Amino acid sequence: MTDVPDRGYVAALAGFRGMTPRRLRFLLDHLGPRHAYEVASGAAAPTPIVARLFTDELRTWWRQSASERSPAMCWERCNEVGVDVVTADDPHFPALLRVDPSPPTVLFVRGDLAVLDGRRVGIVGTRNATLAGRQTATALGFDLAAAGVAVVSGLARGIDGAAHRGALAAGEGDNVGVGRPVAVVGNGADQPYPKQHAELWSAVCAGGLLMSEWPPGTPPEAFRFPMRNRILAALCEVLVVVESRERGGSLLTVREALDRSVEVMAVPGSPRNRAAAGTNGLLRDGAAPVTSADDVLTSLGLDTRRQGAAVFDPRPALRGVDRAVVEQCRSDPRTLDDVASSFGLALCEAAMTLARLERAGWLREVGGWFEAIWSRSELR
Amino acid sequence: MFATVQSATLLGAQGYPVTVEVHVGIGLPAFAIVGLPDEACREARDRVRSALLSSGVGWPSTKRITVNLAPPRHRKTGSGLDLAIAVGMLVACEEVSPDAVRDFAFVGELGLDGSIRPVPGVAPMVGVFGAVDAVVPVASVDEARVAALGEVRCVEGLSDLIEVLCGRAPWPDIQPPAPVTDDSPVPDLAEVRGQPMARLALEVAAAGGHHALFVGPPGAGKTMLAQRLPGLLPPLDRRLSLEATMVHSAAGVPLPPGGLVRRATFRSPHHTSSVVALVGGGSSALRPGEISLAHGGVLFMDELGEFPVGVLDALREPLETGVINVARANVHVELPARFLLVAATNPCPCGGGPPGECECDDGRRHRYLRRLSGPLLDRFDLRVTVQRPDIDELLAGEGGEPSALVAARVQRARRIATERGGVLNAEMSRPQLDSFAPVTAAAGRLLRDELERQRLTGRGYHRIRRVARTLADLETDPPDLVDVGHVQLALSMRSRVRASFPNGRVA
Repeated sequence: MTDVPDRGYVAALAGFRGMTPRRLRFLLDHLGPRHAYEVASGAAAPTPIVARLFTDELRTWWRQSASERSPAMCWERCNEVGVDVVTADDPHFPALLRVDPSPPTVLFVRGDLAVLDGRRVGIVGTRNATLAGRQTATALGFDLAAAGVAVVSGLARGIDGAAHRGALAAGEGDNVGVGRPVAVVGNGADQPYPKQHAELWSAVCAGGLLMSEWPPGTPPEAFRFPMRNRILAALCEVLVVVESRERGGSLLTVREALDRSVEVMAVPGSPRNRAAAGTNGLLRDGAAPVTSADDVLTSLGLDTRRQGAAVFDPRPALRGVDRAVVEQCRSDPRTLDDVASSFGLALCEAAMTLARLERAGWLREVGGWFEAIWSRSELR
Repeated sequence: MFATVQSATLLGAQGYPVTVEVHVGIGLPAFAIVGLPDEACREARDRVRSALLSSGVGWPSTKRITVNLAPPRHRKTGSGLDLAIAVGMLVACEEVSPDAVRDFAFVGELGLDGSIRPVPGVAPMVGVFGAVDAVVPVASVDEARVAALGEVRCVEGLSDLIEVLCGRAPWPDIQPPAPVTDDSPVPDLAEVRGQPMARLALEVAAAGGHHALFVGPPGAGKTMLAQRLPGLLPPLDRRLSLEATMVHSAAGVPLPPGGLVRRATFRSPHHTSSVVALVGGGSSALRPGEISLAHGGVLFMDELGEFPVGVLDALREPLETGVINVARANVHVELPARFLLVAATNPCPCGGGPPGECECDDGRRHRYLRRLSGPLLDRFDLRVTVQRPDIDELLAGEGGEPSALVAARVQRARRIATERGGVLNAEMSRPQLDSFAPVTAAAGRLLRDELERQRLTGRGYHRIRRVARTLADLETDPPDLVDVGHVQLALSMRSRVRASFPNGRVA
C-alpha cells in the first residue's frame, strides 16, 4: 500500500459511485487524497465540515465502492492501460481548465498534454450525421490540422469521429507543423466507445491527446456526456458545429462554449436537412458561418494568405533592359510605343521584350497598356 | 413612220443595251411608252415633246405615238433614254434619215429647252454599246471615253444634234483627254506625330491587304490614321480602275479628272447609314452602295460598334468574296466590293484611356463591346490599340516618315507577295500559307505556346501567320522564313479587344 502515490487514491476516489468533480474537489481540498479516501470509505471519521457532504445514501454507496476500488488496484489499472492521472495541483494540469468556472478535479490522460499549447478548434455535431455532414467535418478536420490547428472533438459517432479522421489524415506521412487531435471522452479512457472507433481511439492517443474526467473502467453513461462537453468547450478557441438537430447534444456544448466566451461558428445546411436544423438556428442567432477552413482560420487570426514574409517569387530575375522596362511600367502604365521610343528599341524588339515580361508574369496588358505586377513581398 | 435607235439603261453598276423603237402612226392621238419604264422614264414623254418643240421641230399632235423599249423584261430606269427617244421621234417624223443614226447610240437626259444633260452611269452604259459611236452629254465625255469602244461624240443641245444628223454641220470638236495626272493633295503620313505602332499597322494593312481595327480613346488619331491609308496604296490596276469607275459612274459620284478612278478611294459612311446605303440596292435601279464605291480602296467605318447589326452582318460576304450580291424580287445584280476595311472604335462608352481613367463598369463595357461580334472581329487581322499622343510628341517639330517612302516599301512588298502566290498575303490560302510562310523553330514555339495558353484560336493562328509574313516582306531584305520577331509583332497587333473577359481569348 505504501508504494501507491497520492494520485492512486485520487484515481480510486474518482470512480466512486455518486462522485462528482465538486465532491471530489471538496474532499481533496479539505482532507488530501489519502485521508479523503479513508473518510470516503468510512475507515476514518469525517471532519465536521466534510461531514456535511455525507448523506446516508452516499455513505452507503461510497462504502461499497471502496470495497471494490482499492487505490492499489486502480493505480495498477491506470499504469496497465497507460493512463496518466493529472490532478489539479499537478503542474501539467492544463491552465485552461484550471481557470474554468467548473473545472475537472482530476484528468485521466493518454497522449501528450503539450498538444493543448497550440491553437485549438473544436468540431462537434450530431451522431446521426448525413454523409455530406461527415465529409464536411472530415474536410474541415483535415484542413485545420494541415494549418497547424489542433482539432478538439468528442470521438463520438458521426461528426466527431469524422473530424478526427480528417485531422489524423492530415498528419499521415510528413507531419511537421500539423495540428494533432485532442479528444475528450465521457467514459474511461481505456474503453473505446463506440466500439467501431477503437482504431480511431488508439490513433488519437498515439498521435495526440485523449482525456477523460473518469478513471479507466468507467462505462459510457448518458449523464457523463454533457459533463464531458464542458471540458471540450473549455479547451476550444473556436467551436465549429457541423450538423446538429434542433435539440441536439452539440447545442449543449454550444451553450458551454458561449458561457466561456468561446466563439461558436456553424456550417450552414439546407433548410430541408433536419440534421442541420440546429446549426441553421445557430446561424440565425448570429453564429458566423463556416464554408471552408479558411473561415475558421480567419477568425483565429491565422489566415496567412495576406502575409508575405517568406513569399517565394517564382518569376525569373530581371536583367538589363527588362529590369528598366518593368521599373518604368511600375511608375506608370506604358504602351508598346512608349517602351520602344524611350529605350530606342525597334517595335519588333519592344514587342518581344514586353511579351517575354508578360509571359514571365512581370507585366500585364490591358487595352494596349502594360502595367507592372508587383510581387507579394513588395506589396507589404 | 418607224424608227429604231440604240441606247442603254443601268442596273447596279452594269449597263444593259436597249433598243428604242418609235412608231408614229394613225390612230387616236396619244403618246405611250411601253417596255417596263419606271416613273422617271415614263416622264420622258413630256420632256421629249417640249424639247422637240423648243428645238424648232414640229410635234405630230394628230398621230398616235408608241415608244417601245426593248427588251421589255428589264425595268428601264432614269432619264438616260430621253435622248434616244427624241432621236427616234426625229427619224419617225422623217426629220432625220434612218441611216444617219444607224451607227450611233445615244445616252442623255433632255431639258425642256432641248439641252442635253448628264445622267449617272454613262460609263457602264457606253461600255455595252459595242463598236458604234456614242453620243453623250458634254459633261460625260471623259466618263464615256473610259469605257467606249467606238468614238465618243457630244453636242450641247437637241437642235445642234439635228444639224449634225442632217449633215448640215460637223460633229463639234471635243477637248482632247485631260491630262491624267491627278495631283489633288492626299493626307500624308508625315503629319502623324508619334504612334509608331499604328503607323506600322497602316503599312502592314496596305502591304498585305489586312483589314484593320483601331481601338482607342477619342483624340487618339484613329480617323487621321485611317485617312492616310489610301496614300499608301499603289494606283489601281487597269481592271480595278475600270470597275471602280463603273461603280462611281453608276452611283453618280463625281469622277476624278480624266474620268478614270486610278487612285484608291476613301469612303467613310456615317454610322447612321442604312444597309441599302452601305451595300447597295434601292427600289429599282439598285444603286451601288458605299462598300462598292470603296472598291479597290479603303472603307473606313468610324465608331464600328454604333453601326446597326444588320449593316455589320452584311459586310461579311463582301469581305470574304470581294463582291456583293444584291437581289430583289425579279432582279439580281452583282456589284464589285473588294475593299480594305479600316474601322475604329472606342474601347468603352466613356472613351477610355490609360488604366484608371475609364469610368465604365465591367457590365457597361461588356455591353458596348458585345456589339462587335466574334465573327466580325475575326475579319480584322490587325487590331491595334492607339493612345492619345504624348504632349511632347504632339508639340515636337518633326513628323514621321512621309507617305511616299512608306508607299514605296508597300509596293515592293505587294509585288513580292503577288509574284510569290498571285495574291496578297491576307488572301493566301492555307496550303499557300504553309509553302510561302514557313516559320523558324523559335517562332513555331511561340505560336505553339500561345495556342496552348488559349490566347490564340486555330483561326487566329493562321491570321497571325499571314500578318507575320507581311511584316517579313516589308523588311529591306525579306527572309524566306518568318522569324519569331515578326510573329510577336503580329501578336502585338492583334490586341484582345474584349480584355474584360477572363483570360482574354483572342478570336
